[in-house]
Amino acid sequence: MTEPLLDGRGVTKRYGGLVAVNNVDFQVFPKEIVGLIGPNGSGKTTLFDCLSRVQSIDEGQVMFKGTDITRKKPHQVAHLGMARTFQVIRVYRKLTILENMKVSRQWRGEQPWNQLRPSHRDIETRAHELIEFLKLEHLTHENAGTLSGGQRRLLELGMALMPDPELVLLDEAASGVNPTLVNEIKDRIRELNRDHGKTFLVVEHDMRFISDLCNRVYVLNYGQKLAEGTPTEVMEDEAVIEAYFGT
Amino acid sequence: MDLFLQALINGVMLGGFYAAMMLGFSVIWGVMGVINLAHGEMIMVGAYLSWVLNENYGMDPFVSLLIVMPIMFVIGYVLQLILINRVVNRPILASLLVTFGLSIAVANLAKLVFSADPRLTDTALSGAWSVGGVTFPVTKTAIMGVALIIMSSLYLFLQSTRTGKSIRAAAQNKQAARIVGIDINKIYALTFGICIAITGAAGALISPTQAVFPFMGTPLTLRAFTITALAGLGSIPGALMGGVVLGIVESMIGVYVPGIGTNLAIIASFVLLVVILITRPQGLFGGLRPHEEPAQI
Amino acid sequence: MRRLPRTPRLVLLVLLIAGLATMPLIPDWFPDQSWVTNSRLFSFTQMFMLITLASNWNLTGGFAGYVDFGHAVFFGIGAYGTGILMNHGWSFWPAMGAGAVFALVFALVIGWPTLRLKGPYFAIAMLGTFVAVREIVRVSKGLTGGGVGLTLPPYLNRPLFYWITLALAVVVVFIMWWIRRSEFGATLIAIREDEVGAEMRGINTTVNKITAFAIGAFSTGIVGGLWAYQNTFIDPDVVFFPSRTVELVMMSMLGGLGTVAGPVLGAATIYWMRDVVWANFADYHLMVEGFLLILIVLYTPEGIMGRLGDKSATSLQKVWKRNGKVPEDAVDEAVEQVTP
Repeated sequence: MTEPLLDGRGVTKRYGGLVAVNNVDFQVFPKEIVGLIGPNGSGKTTLFDCLSRVQSIDEGQVMFKGTDITRKKPHQVAHLGMARTFQVIRVYRKLTILENMKVSRQWRGEQPWNQLRPSHRDIETRAHELIEFLKLEHLTHENAGTLSGGQRRLLELGMALMPDPELVLLDEAASGVNPTLVNEIKDRIRELNRDHGKTFLVVEHDMRFISDLCNRVYVLNYGQKLAEGTPTEVMEDEAVIEAYFGT
Repeated sequence: MDLFLQALINGVMLGGFYAAMMLGFSVIWGVMGVINLAHGEMIMVGAYLSWVLNENYGMDPFVSLLIVMPIMFVIGYVLQLILINRVVNRPILASLLVTFGLSIAVANLAKLVFSADPRLTDTALSGAWSVGGVTFPVTKTAIMGVALIIMSSLYLFLQSTRTGKSIRAAAQNKQAARIVGIDINKIYALTFGICIAITGAAGALISPTQAVFPFMGTPLTLRAFTITALAGLGSIPGALMGGVVLGIVESMIGVYVPGIGTNLAIIASFVLLVVILITRPQGLFGGLRPHEEPAQI
Repeated sequence: MRRLPRTPRLVLLVLLIAGLATMPLIPDWFPDQSWVTNSRLFSFTQMFMLITLASNWNLTGGFAGYVDFGHAVFFGIGAYGTGILMNHGWSFWPAMGAGAVFALVFALVIGWPTLRLKGPYFAIAMLGTFVAVREIVRVSKGLTGGGVGLTLPPYLNRPLFYWITLALAVVVVFIMWWIRRSEFGATLIAIREDEVGAEMRGINTTVNKITAFAIGAFSTGIVGGLWAYQNTFIDPDVVFFPSRTVELVMMSMLGGLGTVAGPVLGAATIYWMRDVVWANFADYHLMVEGFLLILIVLYTPEGIMGRLGDKSATSLQKVWKRNGKVPEDAVDEAVEQVTP
């Protein structure tokens, strides 16, 4: 039985009186694509925020690659090999696509003053490769601010992949993107998973996206884990149906 | 012990005045999201107005309040309409820069008109009361008294009158306020006018005790910022508490640290502010509430 | 506006610098001309200093997005450092170097706590620092001569100052250009555009911010030292002149924040406006500068370079809107509650 890559036990997060994430246990094993779904306000993004350490975790523990990251700072988690994208796209608008990519590289062990020298060959190469992989080469030197929403999604995906992370947290990677592009994104994810062994944890509203891609799905509701299983199992679960559609 | 008590009393009186002096700054920030770096200059304008009335008509500064406040109200109202309005809905930096520019312009305008010589007004109130070994200078007591009256009036106004409630509503949620029919622009102009009137009044009150000169504004603005950051935006009791704390700190430093001028006392309090902002970004007294942005990244 | 292609631009630039460099020699070559005078050289020296100052400010304020309302404090420390040491027998160059080092050290000390503060708080904290240092200088009579001021050994050699400041300006602008092209520049801009996101992607924002801050402080300190020597006299009010710190903000905003050419253009423009237009209205010029800042903020927040289509030009308003927040949040940001 392999060790989970990401292991969360009893994760709890409160905002004042509101419990956004309530005692959630979950695991993500290497090379899986795991989905995280639930109605609006169920705590999915908050959980992501906790995992990437943007928010503090009030109770519980999260282990990543065997290391306890419950109290780590965001950039430390990034250095360990976890990357994420955001519900509302965060790219650096006044930097070009290429610069966006280069600046998102793996920073661990690099001294900031080395930045004044010309980039390492490998960083340049990798950035260009990823840009090609995302089919954005024709826009390499354009400012990210001029891109369309879908293109920015792709860029953000690229920025998450740049540091060669083992685990990628995707927060609504398909939202606001036209259907053709969504398929592109799905294909890329599959490729990265199959050929490069990357693990994904995906938050999504789009059920087809989930059922096409994920081997396992967790369902959250009101901050608690409601169900867990394959996409089919979960979508036929009565409690889940009730949560989404009411009685 | 007497010295300590005296310093304490002085600090409290000073603090009460400080609170009134920066109240306008705090309310403008709280209601409109505008940081008015020209705050000190508004105090200066009020002080000069009082001086002009004092010099040319022999009017006592306390009496001049009756004239200074309406004039300052109009100035504030107009300023808001032509200038501040344009930066209200923009991120906070715009208001900082614009008011910064305004402060430079107004200070230098004053220098042109009045020259840089320091001025002082004369007041009929003088002397001191002595109670149990502690001295209460009449002027300063009167100043604090008026300051408290102004603060309580504002408090009552915001709590009980319809306009006051509209202002509070606008502060909490612009969109909702609009929906219930509140004219936001008018509310903002009114708020700004009232705050500038109060600020100008503080200037008039200060004119008998402190030299009035064109560049007196900046330390005062910094002080206002300090107290507001300490006490929370737009909170009147908070302002009072914050002002008193600051007053006591400055008073104590002035008494117990020999040879320190007022300028350094201000700086000490400013350093205090920076330290607090860093260690407790949500401010003292829970002023900046958790869901608001803390001062730190 | 279409930009000129690379090579002709470079040639023009070199010609310009060469032309400027030879200006002090013109009186020797053409004894009858009257355009190049000592006072004109002095004027240009001031302009070069402004360009250097504006470019330095732009590193922290424009690239990294940390608007500093008190940056002139480093100018003051450099000036006073140089002045004090020269009064203790040091010769100029070591004194100026030491002055700049003091500014650098001070930047490291003050940057550590203040660079953690967000936008308006940082700006005002630096303003407070500026005021604080001025007053401390004023009361430290023993060291700084207090309000009376210090006199430096006189050295009247306009051409030499001219060349030094020209060289400094060229070097500093070149460094800014280099930084902008390098990854350090991209990192700073990333910090400006989305600091929280940058943190999350592994960037050590603290080290990068402090580095930029320190670099800016050092060269600003150098200008301070030069200025002090040229002026021969320094006192707290002349050195820590309030409008100096405004100018820095204004020049960069006018020219275009976050660009390399912006501060240069902005400084040159402000300088010419002063020298040419306002020479007759000395008393009014500060007041007008205040109004000018207002106009710039309201009507050309992206500056000249922004108007000319420079992609990097940004307005600080955009910066502060996005900094630390996901864009949607910025939209429904409610104004704080007025509590009774």
